[in-house]
Amino acid sequence: MVERKRIEIPEGVKIKESVGEETEFPFDISPMYEGERVRKGDMYVELGGTAQSGFELVLALPEEEVEDMKVTLVGPDLDEMEEGKAYPYAMIYYIAGSQVEQDLEPVIERRNHDFQNYIEGYMHLNQRYDIWIRISKGAMKKGLKSLTQIAKATMLLFKNELPFIEKIEALYITDGNLVDKLLNEVAMPIYDERDARVESLHDEDVDEFYSCTLCQSFAPTNVCVISPDRPSLCGAISWFDGRAAAKVDPEGPNRAIPKGELLDPITGEYSGVNEFAKEESGGEYDRIKLHSFFENPHTSCGCFEVIGFYMPEVDGIGWVHRGYPEPAPNGLTFSTMAGQTGGGKQVVGFLGVGISYFRSKKFIQADGGWYRTVWMPKELKERVAKYIPEDVRDKIATEEDATTIEELKEFLKKVDHPVVTGVVRPVDGKKITDGWAEEEEIEEVAEEVAEEPATVEQTAQPQPMQIQPVQQMSVQMPQMPAFQMPQIQLSSQPSTPGIKLIIKDAKIVIDKVIIRSEEKKGGK
Amino acid sequence: MTTIAVTGKGGTGKTVLSALLIHFISQKTTNVLAVDADPDSNLPDALGVAELVENTLGDVREVFQVSRDEMGTTNKEQWLEGKVYAEVICECDNFDLLVMGRPEGEGCYCFANNLLRGVLRRLMRHYDYIIIDSEAGLEHFSRKTIESADYIIVVTDMSKKGLSTAKRIKELSEELDLGFKEIFLVGNRITNKEAEEVIRSFAEQNNIKLLEFLPYDEKIAELDLKGEPIVNLPEDSAYYQKVKGIAEKIEELHVRSITS
Repeated sequence: MVERKRIEIPEGVKIKESVGEETEFPFDISPMYEGERVRKGDMYVELGGTAQSGFELVLALPEEEVEDMKVTLVGPDLDEMEEGKAYPYAMIYYIAGSQVEQDLEPVIERRNHDFQNYIEGYMHLNQRYDIWIRISKGAMKKGLKSLTQIAKATMLLFKNELPFIEKIEALYITDGNLVDKLLNEVAMPIYDERDARVESLHDEDVDEFYSCTLCQSFAPTNVCVISPDRPSLCGAISWFDGRAAAKVDPEGPNRAIPKGELLDPITGEYSGVNEFAKEESGGEYDRIKLHSFFENPHTSCGCFEVIGFYMPEVDGIGWVHRGYPEPAPNGLTFSTMAGQTGGGKQVVGFLGVGISYFRSKKFIQADGGWYRTVWMPKELKERVAKYIPEDVRDKIATEEDATTIEELKEFLKKVDHPVVTGVVRPVDGKKITDGWAEEEEIEEVAEEVAEEPATVEQTAQPQPMQIQPVQQMSVQMPQMPAFQMPQIQLSSQPSTPGIKLIIKDAKIVIDKVIIRSEEKKGGK
Repeated sequence: MTTIAVTGKGGTGKTVLSALLIHFISQKTTNVLAVDADPDSNLPDALGVAELVENTLGDVREVFQVSRDEMGTTNKEQWLEGKVYAEVICECDNFDLLVMGRPEGEGCYCFANNLLRGVLRRLMRHYDYIIIDSEAGLEHFSRKTIESADYIIVVTDMSKKGLSTAKRIKELSEELDLGFKEIFLVGNRITNKEAEEVIRSFAEQNNIKLLEFLPYDEKIAELDLKGEPIVNLPEDSAYYQKVKGIAEKIEELHVRSITS
């Protein structure tokens, strides 16, 4: 943790100080100036940008260390700058307040962008060490003389808009040496620390998750729940992005979801998420477990980058990304599976995720996470390799090892993948699968069940819409008997409302069965 | 802010018209944004500024799609905005130019587009004039990357297809709820009275206001062939003068909209 303290200003540098609130400014301040572009021809000076270094930083300090509404400028001021030139620029704010915590620093820091753009004739772009400012000739003509005026106006906006800031002080620097020194010694370590938080922040550390309903035009019942351990399915939105968007537009497509009570730490079930899911899906779903593959999984919109698919024959899960055109070992391509799974449904046996979910420490933890993963295309595996636990990394097959179920079985047996003997999920050490049963046993069951499909079809018809996707799939791909499996189970318990459990029961026995019988047919 | 979308069937000369309108209007005010919203067209070439274009909006969106996982806690909207302002908007002498560029690839662009909509909305409201060279499908309008247009100018040549595309554009722009004030028709490369009559009665039937007939101009074809900027068209040519007249009409409409 980088220590937060006031910046020491070296001796002998030129300093300008100003204390106290100002109410009169030689420029307008209004949100209508947001987005205003100062063109090169209209520019008085440029600060930061590509030519000069610059950064902005907010530091939370104890109350007694912050002198309210004071600004210190180190280096040349506007009236000492040459028109048309670029200068280094650092904006550092010390803030204090009983509710001000270090966690809020980045949230407050990004508002500098908003507030400074309210200033007429002042263009602020980018963030952190990338800041790029242009001040217009027009602003100078209207009477802007000093960067201390900019600092005062910005501080005023901070206090007005974010009342929990009780004290604020600004240190602006245009002295190139000092900007570079502080950027390297103070700012960069803090930015790095914040980025490291992406990896270290977990669901249990926050009170709110965020929703995303941007996709509801395609998938009306889709509810993307974005938590620190689960980014959006499209891969674009992290918890931090959700928070930023919800702060700007609380009623927009990214809204806060109070996570409520933790119902199950293993599957990631929260009462707040369940309530939200029920509301947003129009009552279609009332449970979503964030880190579960089989039970009440997250809905899949259609935008997901990767689809996970269960292969009952090996009792393992494969993942295939959008860019992989070949069929996965289950015989299906990404687009076929995506077409059946998308639309905002909970389809058991398939799960859409964003690539960044593979980085999550809670990656389908309820169902064994990486230890249940048996196959992924090489390209995808290489992209996420460093997040795969070392002891299973080489046991996950790619298309170079296996392109069919049979080859996959051979491979998994050869490398002794956990699914062969039974998966122990790391999260609580529970053994969740039994491993592969004896070959002969399976043959027997195979024949028993294989004779049933006719009756199965009939009983399955009047079932409620939850089986719809499965039916469609079997119609489109009649040669894929794996998908008839849930129907077979349904026939034995016709009025069962909960499909998920049934499928889990069925997976080993029945699916293996069907594949076997298919092969036999082929053989004859 | 007055937004003009110039559209029509491919090859009817909408880019020529767009370029000349930008040329004329930006001589009166530099607060003009030219938008190339047709991946098949070459507005930057027609304006003679192609070498200034660094990146298209589509290029930046692609970079975003592949690098977003590595962005840590940086704010993605600010990242995109910075890229748009620094690399996509091209500062020409008298106007800014924005090239929309390539269409989306595979995958989900919902989030990127949603952020870009906000960035463009805040950017565009500061211009006096926005002139958009748009393909006939009005894709950027239907996706709301560009929110609205005050005036739509449909360009047609003497072909039946040009007119049927014009009709489709009229229907589409009404469906898209663009909130436009007027839709105009410009006949381009019109060489005989008979064609003028056909176009005139088409405009009446379809309730599109006929704005102007532009002649066939060999010099344009020549500039086109050589890849030279259309704005080099001789000032004394009838074509040049007629488009100047259209630009003046647009300026009148703009002045009226800000004074009323």
